Amino acid sequence: MPSDTLKRTLRDPVVLLALGLLAVLAVLVLVPVAGLVSSTLRPEGLDAWRDVLTGRLAPALLHEPLLNSLLVGAVTAIGAVVIGGGLAWVVVMTDVPLRRTITFLASVPFALPSFALALAWESVFRNDLVGGRVGLLTDLGLTVPDWLAWGPVPVSATLIAHYYSLSFLLTAAALATVNSELVEAAELTGASRLRVARSIALPVVLPAVISGALLAFAEGVSNFAAPAVLGLPVRFHTLSTRAYGAITTGQTERGYVLSVVLVVVAAIVLLVSTRLAGRRKSFATITGKGARRKRVRLGAARLPVTAAVLLLVALTSIVPGLLLLTSSLLERTGSFTSGFTTHFWTGASDPSMAQGMAGILRNPQIVSAFWTTLALGLSVAVAASVLGLLLGYVMTRLRPADPLQAGLGKGLALLSYLPFLVPGVALGAAFIAQFGRPIGPLPALYGTFAILVIAGVAATLPFASQAGRSAVGQISPDVEEAATTAGAGLGRRLFSIVLPLSSRGLLAGGVLVFVNIVRDLSLLVLLVTPATPLLSVLTYRYASEGFTQFANAVTVVIVVISLAATLFARRLEGASQPWLEER
Amino acid sequence: MSIKHARTTLALTVAAGLTLAACGGGSPEAATAEPAEASPLDTVGIEELHTQAQEEGEVRVYAFTSRIASVEKAFEETYPGVDLIPTDISSTEQIARLKAEATAGTTTADVAYLSDAPVVLTDLMSEGLLTNYVPPRVAEALPKEFAEPLVANRLSTKTLMYNEEAHPDGAPVTNLWELTGDEWKGRVVMVDPQVRGDYLDLATEVVLRADEMAAAYEELNGSAIALDEGVNNAGEQWLKDLYANDLVLVDDTDTVNAAIGETGQKNPPIGFTSYSDRRDNEDEGWALQAATGVAPAPGIAFPALLAVTKDAENPAAARLLIDFLMGDDSETGGAGFEPFYVAGDYPTRTDVLAPEGAVSLEELGAWSIDPAQVAEIRSDVADYLLTLS
Repeated sequence: MPSDTLKRTLRDPVVLLALGLLAVLAVLVLVPVAGLVSSTLRPEGLDAWRDVLTGRLAPALLHEPLLNSLLVGAVTAIGAVVIGGGLAWVVVMTDVPLRRTITFLASVPFALPSFALALAWESVFRNDLVGGRVGLLTDLGLTVPDWLAWGPVPVSATLIAHYYSLSFLLTAAALATVNSELVEAAELTGASRLRVARSIALPVVLPAVISGALLAFAEGVSNFAAPAVLGLPVRFHTLSTRAYGAITTGQTERGYVLSVVLVVVAAIVLLVSTRLAGRRKSFATITGKGARRKRVRLGAARLPVTAAVLLLVALTSIVPGLLLLTSSLLERTGSFTSGFTTHFWTGASDPSMAQGMAGILRNPQIVSAFWTTLALGLSVAVAASVLGLLLGYVMTRLRPADPLQAGLGKGLALLSYLPFLVPGVALGAAFIAQFGRPIGPLPALYGTFAILVIAGVAATLPFASQAGRSAVGQISPDVEEAATTAGAGLGRRLFSIVLPLSSRGLLAGGVLVFVNIVRDLSLLVLLVTPATPLLSVLTYRYASEGFTQFANAVTVVIVVISLAATLFARRLEGASQPWLEER
Repeated sequence: MSIKHARTTLALTVAAGLTLAACGGGSPEAATAEPAEASPLDTVGIEELHTQAQEEGEVRVYAFTSRIASVEKAFEETYPGVDLIPTDISSTEQIARLKAEATAGTTTADVAYLSDAPVVLTDLMSEGLLTNYVPPRVAEALPKEFAEPLVANRLSTKTLMYNEEAHPDGAPVTNLWELTGDEWKGRVVMVDPQVRGDYLDLATEVVLRADEMAAAYEELNGSAIALDEGVNNAGEQWLKDLYANDLVLVDDTDTVNAAIGETGQKNPPIGFTSYSDRRDNEDEGWALQAATGVAPAPGIAFPALLAVTKDAENPAAARLLIDFLMGDDSETGGAGFEPFYVAGDYPTRTDVLAPEGAVSLEELGAWSIDPAQVAEIRSDVADYLLTLS
């Protein structure tokens, strides 16, 4: 009887949990996105759809930007996965030296804002197309072609530099769980290293690789800073620059329509990729047995591999990091030859400099913003990680054979992936509309710290859920089944089995969320009030007023907080990054 | 946690979630535009406003410039008992925020100080989200266009600027049409009008002034302009020729400033930016100078608007602040106007002297935009530009 099946399904605690999560995601994601869609269905919105989809404007509004977005998204995803995944393999599976240093440096690019990487690119490759200061190569008398200085190549390159870091962290955590008994067995039977990598390691890390690729793709199609800085001079537009431009020039509906297109494109990519991943069953690797590591000996390749890896991480972390720090110390914006000053950090108010504004360390607002930022980052990281764990658990435990459960899983996966793609202004406005008035017994949240946390959780859901999914995905259901047989309920299993076994992946995910929330979030600009100052909002403010050094100085503070969080998490993990241990 | 317990908790979560979802306003309902009733506060004197403002205790302002922070101290000293709480937030975000707040039926600001006049007038005024307050004290000295539909305290510019180190004898260009010629091919820089509203206003004004553009063309070339097929007027033709002449588009004004102004360049570009950014020349090592005597005009001047928000919680304090931001009775506008008293920006009050260090608005010759007219064809111009790039 179907109704019996339905009843049984609805009695399943996993399904109940999934329904609960669906309700939470409905509030966090569905309602804002639905608001976005519905505002494109009113008369002006329908006009905007017509403009975007058909007629003389369609090529400029949709066709070219869409192709450009897909190109940048795909190249970013592939590049990030190849570089990040390759690096993870080298660090985790081989006897390359300096693993700790490499791991730390490889986590830096993600903590850097994407404009810092764009800045680094410009300082090397900028040619005389725009005018003003040129980059190092042109300075040396070399001719830098436009395609190398501007457009899709530099945009993708800076985004890869940004996102390989994420792919590395996710893949390294997964690779560390590869059962080395299997590897040894394979090697004993004469399998080549490549074969080992392909047949044993790859299936295990596939969920992490796909998560990394999806996140990089989403960032590639939705990033605004990189295409705006490096693309516009050669009139390279993406959907996000078009959407942002439409919103800022008052054509809100058109901007929303483009965002909806972006959301649809990303949804298709997500569904296709889960279908591909779905063909390969069972990635479970944490089986309750201890796994000892055996590292691949690089032999003669050790030196060149080490050099290449160090060069890669240094170019993407130390170089842009130093550039960022140095630009906060420059007397004149962007001029590395006209002298240095610590005024923007520690200087007292001087009417002849920066319109009389004192250095950031003397600014009481910065101090208060520092603490608020820290509190927000921690609250969001904890809340998003809990949500991410539950989402990851539910998505891996729902049975795809049951159409209801399969649908639930897909729905959850989709909803938790979308917030990335909605422009901050649109998402922020939806949150104000949603939480600006009292809801039943709940007071209006607008203007409070709580709404920042809620919005932050919504915005970082893609990180949290992908991290949760790849962390829980490795836990063999056998372990849980044993617990169930012993009479443990869902709550018990979650706390005593799933949580501890996925803690490493979750902590990594929590750090990603933290870093992302303290870094830059256009969405929060709309929600902050004087009572809740944030560092990211201050940099935004300084930058938009042309106080570049102040903006860079505050950004350095943000990067330091992010890196401190990364290091702290690593210490907490302690032995849980076993690939770092020498053996 | 037993399964039963878990289920109860989940049921509650679901219920709460759905309630939230049901109550959360997704789509902003179009507010009906009703003419705002004149408030009795509009005509009372300063002392009375101050007394009432003290009862209100505070005034919250959204401002598109961080310079509002320096107004805070001066205001609180002048009007003790009224706490000024500033939030600096860009015009675009103010517009989004005010609309979203209206949907939610809440307000977090009493005063909005913003530019983007064409969007403000169409998107916010038509929905009744902002109301005008002309301080009676300054009404006489305020030309009508700066008193209605919203009061403006100063004008900013987007105008043609050049590198005065490379061109010590004055502007290298005396006619906008020169920018479409070979000499300036690939060397005209501006922010993409598809990304920033004030540059779209500039492009729109050029189209509105098509007749002047046609006259300037004839003045330069000696013959009447011939329009390409599909081009409606001389303004559109200029935009088309400019884009075809490898116009360089960037994402923000500081990039334009640095490109044009950077000293030590042999062959610097020329472009459109804010006259008042010339004040950063010394700090940044720039040689920015505004081009004057350009036919038919070197650019536009546009207003910075002040308004009381709909349902402002502190209506008296809001009016007191607007009065303060319009400047006092001295020649320079005093403490309330001081942060905005910058060479290259122009006070709207006829009894406040323009700051020294910049030519007068007349001498500059920039077009003063009429926001209502710009608003009318602005999106058409944006669409036209889309077909060019």
